[in-house]
Amino acid sequence: MRPFRNQNREWQMSAREAAILGAVRQRFSDVRDRIAGLTPQAFGEAADYLKRLQQSLSTNDRPDDNTERVPVGSAGHDCIAALCAISLTSAQLHPTIPATDSAQFLELLKECQNDSEKSFRLLAERFSWPPNFSLSTETEIREHVLMRLMVHDRARIEERSIASVDADDLLLKLNLVAVHSRESDDLRFLDALNYYYELLPTNWVPRARHVSLVVSFLGLYARALQCGF
Amino acid sequence: MRLAILANTLPGALPIYEEFHRAGYHDLVVILCPVSSRSGARDRAKHAGRLLLKSRRFKSLSLLLKGKVKILRHALDHPRSLERLANLKLDVGLHKTGNIYRQTTIDSFRLGILNAHIGLLPGYRGRSVMEWSVLQGEPAGISVFFIDSGIDTGERILLSEPVDISHCKSLTEAKQYLFSLDAMFYRRAVALLSSNELSWKRNDLSGRRYYVMSKLFNEVTEQLFLLHHPLPLGEGRGEELS
Repeated sequence: MRPFRNQNREWQMSAREAAILGAVRQRFSDVRDRIAGLTPQAFGEAADYLKRLQQSLSTNDRPDDNTERVPVGSAGHDCIAALCAISLTSAQLHPTIPATDSAQFLELLKECQNDSEKSFRLLAERFSWPPNFSLSTETEIREHVLMRLMVHDRARIEERSIASVDADDLLLKLNLVAVHSRESDDLRFLDALNYYYELLPTNWVPRARHVSLVVSFLGLYARALQCGF
Repeated sequence: MRLAILANTLPGALPIYEEFHRAGYHDLVVILCPVSSRSGARDRAKHAGRLLLKSRRFKSLSLLLKGKVKILRHALDHPRSLERLANLKLDVGLHKTGNIYRQTTIDSFRLGILNAHIGLLPGYRGRSVMEWSVLQGEPAGISVFFIDSGIDTGERILLSEPVDISHCKSLTEAKQYLFSLDAMFYRRAVALLSSNELSWKRNDLSGRRYYVMSKLFNEVTEQLFLLHHPLPLGEGRGEELS
């Protein structure tokens, strides 16, 4: 996420930037503390990954450090594994060659909006290298994912409970939004993460097929916040 | 021009009704719509309660007795409701409900249904648009446009103007202030429709759709609002002085 910029009214921008940055810094501190407070044993096979995340955030990793390198996406990359790896570093990420069928993919995604398992499979497959979510060709797909998170999923959770949504599908979308937030100055994506951080139960260990996704969501959220300052 | 105020409550519709009545529009009715498809009977009970208990109940009763209020028993898009709307031969609807309209309902109005949206279109669609405008250092405002079945995507924008909210003491007050201007903006929009000077701006969807804002950014926005809209010396915001 590039620092907040606006070319108009410079004095107001300074105050605005300072206010946003202050909030982002405080939230980063909160998220880091929350991650530090998680009990690895509660996360089953994601326990080791959580420990590595806790360690990486405790070293105050800065965006320009390259202590952990993530290989550029290649064929056969597993989306979930890539998200875990990306969450462990603040290094800059690079997308790969864009797919050309964004419009058709979006239609497929819309068709399966009541089939969360299919939605999960489609997104995990297309974004096996998650930074590709930020490609310009994927704009409409990003908007759709953001809309599903902030309208349908949010309403369901608020009106019923967190148990009423598919945890894997929800968390994958949040993870992708978090990866994109690192690269974008569109505050709507960061704020979706803010909103869900406030909405989801503090010590939530979801009944998910991929429990690492809740850890990588927190880790990637922390990285997105960190990129702002 | 035959107008209808689409509202969930009669007190909610009254300010709009009075604005138009003062401006000389008499061919207008209030259509009370159920909040949801299952709330018809409950809503009617609430309407009765408001008539007995709420302030301005005499004004509400007066409209009822004059036949200016039509109460729908079914959801807006129910065939019986659509039939009633068709029989009224309405030109323009004025949105004052919490409902989202289906195309069949919109088509019941010759020209369509207008919405007074508290954000400047096409830039700011969706929710919390006033807050997002303030956060991003842009002016707040109101847009009046013809609704379609999407979220603030209606193509024809009649009015889209910045509104000064600097006199408001808080974001909440600013939002209430913007909402309170709907009657006046509707009246101006309808006047444009009736005039020879009608031109509308196309909603080209070049802006963004915004969503409910987090507590974190709401606090930042409130902070920015108070920073950029200081009250004159001697006036407080009700906070204790240290």
